[in-house]
Amino acid sequence: MSFLNDDIKNQINRRSFLTAGGIGLGSAALMSMLPKVAASGVGATSLQPGNGVPSLPHFPPKVKRVIFLCMAGGPSHLETFDYKPKLAEMHSKPMPESYTKHQPIAQLQGQQLRCQGPMTQFNRYGQGGLMVSDFLPWHAKMADDICVIRSMVTEQINHDPAHTFMNTGTAISGRPSMGSWITYGLGSESRDLPGFVVLTSVGGRNPQPIASRQWSAGFLPSQFQGVEFNSSGDPVHYIKNPSGVSSAQQKKLIGTVHALDRHRNRLLKDPEVSTRIAAYEMAFRMQSSVPELMDISDEPDSIKEMYGAVPGDGSYASNCLLARRLAERGVRFIHLYHRGWDHHGGLVKYMNICSDLTDRPTWALITDLKQRGMLEDTLIIWGGEFGRTPMFQGKGGAGRDHHIKGFSMWMAGGGVRGGQAYGATDELGYHSVKNVVHVRDLHATMLHLLGIDANRFSKPFQGLDMRLTGVEPARVVRDILT
Amino acid sequence: MIIINWNFRPFQIAFSCYLLSGIGLISVQSAEIIDFNRQIRPILSNNCLFCHGPDASERKADLRLDTEEGAKQDLGGYQAVSPGNPQKSELFKRITTADPDDHMPPIDSGKTLTQEEIRLIESWIHQGAPWSEAWAYQAPVRHPIPKVRNANWTLNWIDSFILHRLESENLLPSPQADPVTLVRRLSFDLTGLPPLPETVASFIDNPESYEQIVDQFLASSAYGERMAIYWLDLVRFADTVGYHGDQDHNISPYRDYVIDAFNDNMPLDQFTLEQLAGDLLPNATIDQQVASGYNRLLQTSHEGGVQPKEYLAIYAADRVRNISAVWLGGTLGCAQCHDHKFDPYTTRDFYSMAAFFADLDEAQHFKVGTNNLPTRRPPEIKVLSRNDRKILTQYQKQLSLSKTQRVQAIAEGRKAAALNRKINELEKKIETIEAAKRSTMISATVKPRIMRILPRGDWLNESGPIVAPAIPEFLGTISRNEPRADRRDLAEWLTSSDNGIGGLTARVFVNRFWHLFFGIAPARVMDDFGGQGESPVYPKLLDNLAVEFLESDWNVKYLVKQIVLSQTYRQHSLASEDLTERDPENRLYARQSGYRLPAEMIRDNALAVSGLLNPDVGGASVKPYQPPGYYRHLNFPIRNYHHDEDRRQWRRGLYVHWQRQFLHPMLKAFDAPSREECTVARPRSFTPLAALTLLNDPTFLESARVFSERIVRQNLKVFDDALEFAFLRAVSRKPDSIETNLLHDLYKEEMRIYSKDPQAATELAQIGLKKATTEDKSIEVAAWTSVCRAILNMSETTTRY
Repeated sequence: MSFLNDDIKNQINRRSFLTAGGIGLGSAALMSMLPKVAASGVGATSLQPGNGVPSLPHFPPKVKRVIFLCMAGGPSHLETFDYKPKLAEMHSKPMPESYTKHQPIAQLQGQQLRCQGPMTQFNRYGQGGLMVSDFLPWHAKMADDICVIRSMVTEQINHDPAHTFMNTGTAISGRPSMGSWITYGLGSESRDLPGFVVLTSVGGRNPQPIASRQWSAGFLPSQFQGVEFNSSGDPVHYIKNPSGVSSAQQKKLIGTVHALDRHRNRLLKDPEVSTRIAAYEMAFRMQSSVPELMDISDEPDSIKEMYGAVPGDGSYASNCLLARRLAERGVRFIHLYHRGWDHHGGLVKYMNICSDLTDRPTWALITDLKQRGMLEDTLIIWGGEFGRTPMFQGKGGAGRDHHIKGFSMWMAGGGVRGGQAYGATDELGYHSVKNVVHVRDLHATMLHLLGIDANRFSKPFQGLDMRLTGVEPARVVRDILT
Repeated sequence: MIIINWNFRPFQIAFSCYLLSGIGLISVQSAEIIDFNRQIRPILSNNCLFCHGPDASERKADLRLDTEEGAKQDLGGYQAVSPGNPQKSELFKRITTADPDDHMPPIDSGKTLTQEEIRLIESWIHQGAPWSEAWAYQAPVRHPIPKVRNANWTLNWIDSFILHRLESENLLPSPQADPVTLVRRLSFDLTGLPPLPETVASFIDNPESYEQIVDQFLASSAYGERMAIYWLDLVRFADTVGYHGDQDHNISPYRDYVIDAFNDNMPLDQFTLEQLAGDLLPNATIDQQVASGYNRLLQTSHEGGVQPKEYLAIYAADRVRNISAVWLGGTLGCAQCHDHKFDPYTTRDFYSMAAFFADLDEAQHFKVGTNNLPTRRPPEIKVLSRNDRKILTQYQKQLSLSKTQRVQAIAEGRKAAALNRKINELEKKIETIEAAKRSTMISATVKPRIMRILPRGDWLNESGPIVAPAIPEFLGTISRNEPRADRRDLAEWLTSSDNGIGGLTARVFVNRFWHLFFGIAPARVMDDFGGQGESPVYPKLLDNLAVEFLESDWNVKYLVKQIVLSQTYRQHSLASEDLTERDPENRLYARQSGYRLPAEMIRDNALAVSGLLNPDVGGASVKPYQPPGYYRHLNFPIRNYHHDEDRRQWRRGLYVHWQRQFLHPMLKAFDAPSREECTVARPRSFTPLAALTLLNDPTFLESARVFSERIVRQNLKVFDDALEFAFLRAVSRKPDSIETNLLHDLYKEEMRIYSKDPQAATELAQIGLKKATTEDKSIEVAAWTSVCRAILNMSETTTRY
């Protein structure tokens, strides 16, 4: 019987704290910024993530926040971090059937499978001699900061379910995304911004769709959902005052609503009213904090140049700079999507475009965090929802199909041992064969760095104790940690 | 593996004492008889069944504790459970031993039993370890209506069950809510709309008219719309395919069917049959074919590179999850890769259930699905709404009559000019109606696909045995059509109390209907009546409701009426401190519950209060204002959203275009689900995004302005009178002096601001399609718009008490 969860405990703690402190109603509104969930079963739940689940973290965390750089579409591991000379030798020869038999195949179903050698050169960089392709010259500069996992595997071969799998640990809809899990568990350190923010950019091959399911809170309370910040139009939906209404008017109106609610509530005694008042207060603060955050014009030119960010352009570069600003303001999980990496054809052309748009800003983000002393308590994760086949696909020039049995991602930041590659695929880059890292292992490792034991971080739903890492055992990849 | 009790333990124990005693897990008194299902089964399920449960592949020591036979079998001179003798029971020894190697549950499982749980098990064994079948699989029986001390309080048999329990807990029921609260509650609960001021006034004058008002609401077409909102959540109805490109698909006539079915009070067994198997019925009517669209509501994909076999497996699993959640109140979906860990569902059961749907013609879209709007999802039919069909029939009759008359006229040498005109008109009218036909996905049957058990759910593995359509084995067998059991048989089994599990299904649904009228159901986990769910707080009441529902031939309106006529329903929702403390979640119903309105009702309320609401029933989905660029992440094709430019703009929320991947931000902000999966209960949150929506979404701004114009048009000279007009519409009552003062302050301030800046007043008035009607009073309208915004943002306006 575990339906009394930590959320209720929060609620009780909060209430007893209020009683003990003898705080008036105004402060009560502020205090209800703390999570307050399912206390009454029928009442509204709210609000901005506050202190998270009280039993967390399980142990001292290495990092406070995560910036997840999702290269949506699935970048080729074979043209970024996984150099396969044997594949070059086998170029245009038939792909040995021993590799592909009984394996899932996406767009190459029913076609003759031929090897496609690496479409660029590789070199070793940094003290660790990390292999990086020529497509990523700025990554080469930070070779000692990143730890490339070359043995990733996932279970979903189509974009939409693969993103869902990467974000929620399952392809079944309706489960919380990792950002929601983490904000739910650890709360947020920001009073004025949501704990989980999503930013997107495009450029490269025709962008694959991305569903808001990817930042959904699933069965967790709604306040843990990712909030998308838009680079054009209103940065957050309905954040602007209506035309003809000034900020002072809006403030007065909200104040009147609160006074009306408090007055009426002497009669109605609805415990949700204080929650609601706090939501309005936060909403009002967001009306100034979000535009202030999004306006990068106050950044020194040198910083803007370092990222290549142009205010208001919605580029990945600007989003990287915004990610740093969000991190500074205490946002817990920052998820960037760059949609352009689905290189079924024209791989060289589109790799050049994608790399031009993302390579340097990624370097700038890491460098900037480092120079501010923030890299040590930030975890950065880079990668797509899957990798690409060693086999040729030719949709408008040489390209590669979706591939899930072996691909590369990297981690950097606090607690991560940079300058190394971990794990390996086979000599053709098809199967991960050494130190295989499943998506759930990635999740477990990320949670570990945040001070969370994935096995002990669950929430009952539909008769099961749901976890980000699912039911199969997940391992923390300790070899990549400091 | 599964770790339940990671919570802060001292707290949990402390909390258990006062809460659980409120719902039945009462501390063991020496004389108390232990209830196996309520008190013991959950302990076994949570702590033991993962290794000693139904899943043979995980079972340790060949011991199973999910069956009486298993628990009491001879294990070679000893038993896990030795009735009457805890000390001779290996189970009890293991949970109390100090030896860490022998201790159960194993230390590394992360599970531990509380002292209370150990004591319960001891007492239970001591009392002879009586076993009973899991409550959810026992057909409901009619229980005698309990005697109560304060019979005056009761209005019907429901109240007797409630009051009996309250009296035994030394709790008093709450007084009846005041008439305004009551009529508002009824109106939102039964129609999803606020009551008209006239309805409120007439009820205050004549409180005896309660039942008449109930009947009036049940008879309104808004009732069907309100019930449809819930049904559409269950069956995951949406306007788009859900996966990848999330293109539109044709399905809106199915929504009309659901609304009509509730309004016609179609028996729920018939409703079930038509949805699961409408296409298989002899001489299937258009409505029945439309209903069979149920089988097509799931998410689909034609993304380049989808492997049809994989997706057919995904669809099969999706259907099993939905059938099981909606009708069985079960989690058969969990048995896709392994036998269920806690309930008697096997993997075979999962695939056998999936096999019922193996005849569906659904694979065409892998080839013909296009990146157009709508995409192609054959088979479809083109249909008219029921009303249009009626009108069409009339026109056709008139047309044929007129044509006959014309033939006669010509034969008789009379002039036929007038008749010709009439015929022309009718033909045009018929053409117009025909043009309103909408396509909708239906079920059609083809040669059934071979359905195999997929080992570990792996669609690439074809080594599993072939299965035929069948119901879960532990629930019996099924009478069937030849040559294979089909979807009709499944529907029959789900709803027949003689040849199926009708009683269990009825209980699943009455539990949910109760939830709609109290905010929380007796069996709280409404989609899991299994071992990991929760036993109902009022099992006998639930049984009687189910029996009553069955015996009324699945009469939904009758059931709903029974519930809302009860005194239990009519209580006020204010909780005393004592009651909040003893029963924070209102599991005992010693009061009503107050909660925020569902998303659609929040929209409908603002539109209704302002007078903007377009009350049309049924039809294609509509597109309200939406932030520009919201669909920019959609592709194949790129999406351009154009909101409706006519009166469709002000239709009810249940008609809003339901884009699974990007649900309208207003609906989303108020917890409407994406409808990718079955939703039995929406969360109820109030986040800053919800506040921003109520404050700044054009729909609410336009509503406030049109409401303001309505007030200004009354030409009431005194502010107080005008505010009274507003309050009566928005919250069905008059404002008090403090409220009047607060809003008068706001009004004066806004008048001052807009008098100085009339341009701002004009800008505010331009939000929304509806043209300003009182331009000569633009400043007053703007000031009142602010007052109306405040009123629409009040907690009371969007809460059902």
